[in-house]
Amino acid sequence: MIRLEQLTVPAGAFTLHNVSLEIPEGAYTLVIGPTGSGKTTLLEAIAGHVPVRDGRVFLRGVDVTHLPPEQRGVGFVYQQYHLFPHLRVRDNIRYGLRHGTQSPAEQDARVESLAGMLGIEALLDRGVGRLSGGEQQRVALARALAPRPSILLLDEPFAAVDPSMRHLLRRELRTLHEREGTTTLQVTHDFDDALRLGDQVAVLSEGRVAQAGPPDQVFRFPNSPFVARFIGAGTVLAGVLERSQAGTEGDPFAARFQSGALSLEVIASHEGPAHAVIRPEDILLSRDPFPGTPRNRFPARITRVERTGALAYVHLDAGVQLVAVITSATADEMQPAVGEVLHAALKATAVHLV
Amino acid sequence: MQPVSSPPTRPGGLVAAFLASLLILFIAGPVLRLLLDATPTSLAGAARDPELRASILLTVLTATAATGLALLLGVPLAWFLVRARFPGRRLVAGLIELPVVIPHPVAGIALLLFLGRRSAVGGVLANAGLEFVSHVPGIVAGMLFVSAPILVSGAREAFHGVDPRLERVARSLGDSGFQAFRSVTLPLAGRGILAAALLSWARAVSEFGSIVILTYNPKVASILIYDRFTLYGLEAAVPAAVVLLLVAVAVFLLVRLLQRGHETA
Repeated sequence: MIRLEQLTVPAGAFTLHNVSLEIPEGAYTLVIGPTGSGKTTLLEAIAGHVPVRDGRVFLRGVDVTHLPPEQRGVGFVYQQYHLFPHLRVRDNIRYGLRHGTQSPAEQDARVESLAGMLGIEALLDRGVGRLSGGEQQRVALARALAPRPSILLLDEPFAAVDPSMRHLLRRELRTLHEREGTTTLQVTHDFDDALRLGDQVAVLSEGRVAQAGPPDQVFRFPNSPFVARFIGAGTVLAGVLERSQAGTEGDPFAARFQSGALSLEVIASHEGPAHAVIRPEDILLSRDPFPGTPRNRFPARITRVERTGALAYVHLDAGVQLVAVITSATADEMQPAVGEVLHAALKATAVHLV
Repeated sequence: MQPVSSPPTRPGGLVAAFLASLLILFIAGPVLRLLLDATPTSLAGAARDPELRASILLTVLTATAATGLALLLGVPLAWFLVRARFPGRRLVAGLIELPVVIPHPVAGIALLLFLGRRSAVGGVLANAGLEFVSHVPGIVAGMLFVSAPILVSGAREAFHGVDPRLERVARSLGDSGFQAFRSVTLPLAGRGILAAALLSWARAVSEFGSIVILTYNPKVASILIYDRFTLYGLEAAVPAAVVLLLVAVAVFLLVRLLQRGHETA
């Protein structure tokens, strides 16, 4: 278990501010955020590599804020892996076992077992200089896991591998996590990692936790325009809310959200300036007028069609820029053309206000 | 665009090449001229000369002692200057390079004032049995003063080349700070530190200005050469000068070899 209480960590000109986070035993948690948001500094503070100005770090229920890194029992894999260049692969993996009580034979067995698990047996007697990105990542993982840490910290572990390898490694990492039961905290700038790997996600912005929770929850209900934009939750529109129906104080009410030329019926809990998040899959498109009940119906001109495998993203101009998504099969039937004006519809409940 | 490696063909390039070759000639000329003066007979004579042999041995031993001290004291300092952040770090870094700009006889006088019997420090050390002026420790002190900056500078560069995150990984794998230094940092910076130590040793061997003031006798090789030149003329100084030059060239080649190995590693 990892618990951070009001952690403040200076790192050069940058400071991590009042970060509080709780990661349950055995959970796989991702910290995401743009470059410079403090992700690596957060991991280094947990591992004891940077001094903490304020707040406390608890690992396995013990306050380790002032303990040196070697007494924290934390495995650490940096983005560039940082394998020891003067040691062979085998000696890199064995490095952390030197301080344990295992006999040399037991150390060998542990190295062989991890190498087998990660498919790197053939590399054991090689130098690390000529390993590919994927091989380096596996060796770095094996080295971090060898002393059986109960906590594993991963700093952008997929950054230096190509996309096909990334997919494979992601799956392997999740399998490894389930097999070893290690509490894992991974930082990434890719929300896709969080959706595929994480039990929990925390979004960092300028040294602060902007939002934390289960990945699908954060994706469905981002709590700020920054989070919505960063995780790619949908189109984020700035506008103003005006109540259109009287109601009980404190209850959600029907309102009109005005953003540029677009006016939408929404369900709101406050009036005044707000941001609306509109997910591409919530926008319905048709050449014929919608006969049904959607409260929001408006014309939208196609400005671009972007096909990505099974899906096609249709960029629209509806007074504001919007993006809708349809399946490729629908796109084949519909043949949407740039410049064409379609009927678009959106349920009032599909507009998420932040 | 013309590739950088192509030979200079413009007039400006030709002028630059001419000026550069003048400097190369100025450095290589005297060295070659001295080497050409060394005949097998004169070298054999030098090898049989007991005073020269004793002087070369003294030079090698004192330069080795000075380099050993520079390693012992300079490597930790270089590590602190690279890794630690403390008030006055730049001041310390500047101070350690000061001997490079001090004329060596001036360094000798400063050392004499600091380590002489009549100074506070020198008095205490002399009472403890460590005399500098006109004693072998004076030679080591002069050599250390002028060669330590070379070692510290080279060791700093070597430590700069080691990513601190490698040390952090070692710490997370259970190493203490010193264990990470010994198992990761030192092996990776070792070649650079060794090259710096060799350069520092060579600088110590060639020191004259401060030693001539601190400890004229017993004579190190550079003082013996000067002594013979002033007393007996050029011919008497050449064999000893050639021997010292050969030592310097051997060290230079070793350093180049180490640096090339480091670049290709």
